[in-house]
Amino acid sequence: MDPVWWEYIPYILQGAIWTFTLVGGGLALGFAIGVPVAMGQKYGPTWLKAVLDVYVWFFRGTPLVVLLFLFYWGIFPVLLGIKLDALTTSVIVLGLRSGAYQSQIFRGALNSVDEGQMLAARALGMSKWQAITNIILPQALRIAIPGWTNEYAIILKDSAICFTLGVVEILTRTRYVVISTGEALGPFLFAGVLYIIFTYGGTKVFNIIYEKYHIPGLVGKGM
Amino acid sequence: MGEDEVVLRVENIHKKYKDQEVLKGVTFEVRRGETKVIAGPSGAGKSTLLRCINLLTKPDKGRVWLEGVELTNPKTNINKMRQKIGFVFQEFNLFHHLTALENVMIGLTKVKKLPKDVARKKAEEALLTVHITEDLWNKYPAQLSGGQKQRVAIARALAMDPVIILYDEPTSALDPQLVGEVLRVMEELARKGVTGLVVTHEIGFALEVADEILFMYGGKILERGPPREVVFNPKHEVTKKFFENIKRLYGGR
Amino acid sequence: MGFWEEFIPLVLHGAVNTLWVLVISIPASVALAIALGSARVYGNAALKAVATAFVVTFRGFPLVVTLFLLFFGLADLGIYLTPYQTATLAFVLCGGSYMSEYVRGAIRSIDIGQSLAARALGMTKFQELIYIILPQAIRRALPGISNEIIYQIKYSSLAFVVGYEEIFAVSKTFISRYFMPLQVFMVDAALYLAMTTAAAYGLRALEYKLRIPGLEMSIR
Repeated sequence: MDPVWWEYIPYILQGAIWTFTLVGGGLALGFAIGVPVAMGQKYGPTWLKAVLDVYVWFFRGTPLVVLLFLFYWGIFPVLLGIKLDALTTSVIVLGLRSGAYQSQIFRGALNSVDEGQMLAARALGMSKWQAITNIILPQALRIAIPGWTNEYAIILKDSAICFTLGVVEILTRTRYVVISTGEALGPFLFAGVLYIIFTYGGTKVFNIIYEKYHIPGLVGKGM
Repeated sequence: MGEDEVVLRVENIHKKYKDQEVLKGVTFEVRRGETKVIAGPSGAGKSTLLRCINLLTKPDKGRVWLEGVELTNPKTNINKMRQKIGFVFQEFNLFHHLTALENVMIGLTKVKKLPKDVARKKAEEALLTVHITEDLWNKYPAQLSGGQKQRVAIARALAMDPVIILYDEPTSALDPQLVGEVLRVMEELARKGVTGLVVTHEIGFALEVADEILFMYGGKILERGPPREVVFNPKHEVTKKFFENIKRLYGGR
Repeated sequence: MGFWEEFIPLVLHGAVNTLWVLVISIPASVALAIALGSARVYGNAALKAVATAFVVTFRGFPLVVTLFLLFFGLADLGIYLTPYQTATLAFVLCGGSYMSEYVRGAIRSIDIGQSLAARALGMTKFQELIYIILPQAIRRALPGISNEIIYQIKYSSLAFVVGYEEIFAVSKTFISRYFMPLQVFMVDAALYLAMTTAAAYGLRALEYKLRIPGLEMSIR
């Protein structure tokens, strides 16, 4: 007799380690890319804005699964001649893509910090760079937290797509269970509920961060 | 259906919001063709009273009849009855996505289910009655002045052939220079015999066309009578003070 | 035959299949979103609860999981959907749920005066919703809905997981014949970029066409 699927729950749950590696890595890399991209798009020279626009357009307009295969089979091994494993490739691709989205979140946040803040900083004798790092960014980063929360929920669900490269995250393991037990409804429902729980749990954490750093009266305009 | 037939009867209306008693038993009648003005300081319950009549707000106690049909009876189809009660809001509340003409037509086509061409004709008549000329018919509310918006709103109520029109401070949200055009339309309608119940601070309007003023204070009708009497010769000290203040503020035309 | 001569007709065939799903799933998603969004604001307690549970579920499940559930999970119950049916249904459930959040937000953003004026004219709750609230709310929700439509175009590439022969599915099979992944997946990317960019312009034009002075589309 085939084993029943719920005996594999611990096995599926262990996939959370990989899922959160993808999510954490993707968000962090996306942050590291998104913030400078947003600043380049707002304060940079025209040619830089054009280059960054193309980057954002490409990564926002192309499906994740196409990007994963393009980088895993094409860009890394063929074009660059480096062999990266599925997990590393997935984190990089999630990060590059999230960077495109996060840059838009930060750009909105930067735009909603009012012009008077910059003028006041310059009037105090700060350089443009000092004004950006000391005055504008601390406000914009706070304003962007809700957008970031949203990005977490998106990247969490998108991490499931990395099963296509065989990263042993939650969905890949769920599929193994389906294949070995011959049952599909239970395992897939379980996986679905797991993602819902992780979405809400993570959102809670982001809300706590938001409350902690929230400054009264500082909210994004038109966000 | 005589001239002095009672069309609206309001009996012992009470309304409480949380702990605050806004209306403490209000009773009055309006006869066909009459115009009655409700005046009183803010917080007296005037707007709540008006909304209790067409049940946009549900009174806690008391009854309302329109042409002998009890609106407060749960068995009454209130949507049917509301068609017969025009309501003009302080903030106009024109439908933002419809042109002036469409605003007036929509009640006719969707609620009264009149054919489009009939509805259009009626709407055009109503708009002309409130002096909204053809060049404005296809404008959206955002493209109209406050006075024009309120006149369109009056036309929207009027086109439904209501038994009575309730006006809830119709000129309070208007710039001072636009008040006149709205009051003129309301006076014309009153003279034509359109029955009206008007919450307003405009004593000029009251003196000109009202048959009676109901002065409300603290959730009750404190004093009532012919406009001249209530305004110039009130029985109560509060009434006197109120109208003196109003005259000072508005210059009492 | 060479690589390009074989690949181009194949991938265009995949593109037609992609569009064939989207042509049904996008309008159906919008319709579902309007129904769900309306139910969550205007429905009675039971309807609100059902609609909310529905949205929480299909926004919370990754789309791939929904696809697997509909294709393999329902089969456990004796319900067999074709790949085409599975993909279309999954996109509608997921897209409709996401879009419904914009509809709901837009309905709630309409000022109360609109509702009061509708009721004062004698409209029923349903008439008020259909003739007064939704025409305004849908316009306000349109930018958000447009974003979700663009997402749906991209995520349609996931239909390959249930064996539907769309752009990505044919490409994936093709590289086992000609191992030219760079070219193949760049062509895919180009096709999706063309579709998403065209959709973005088309939807912007639609927003412009439907705009009404004073009814600014504020939620994005």
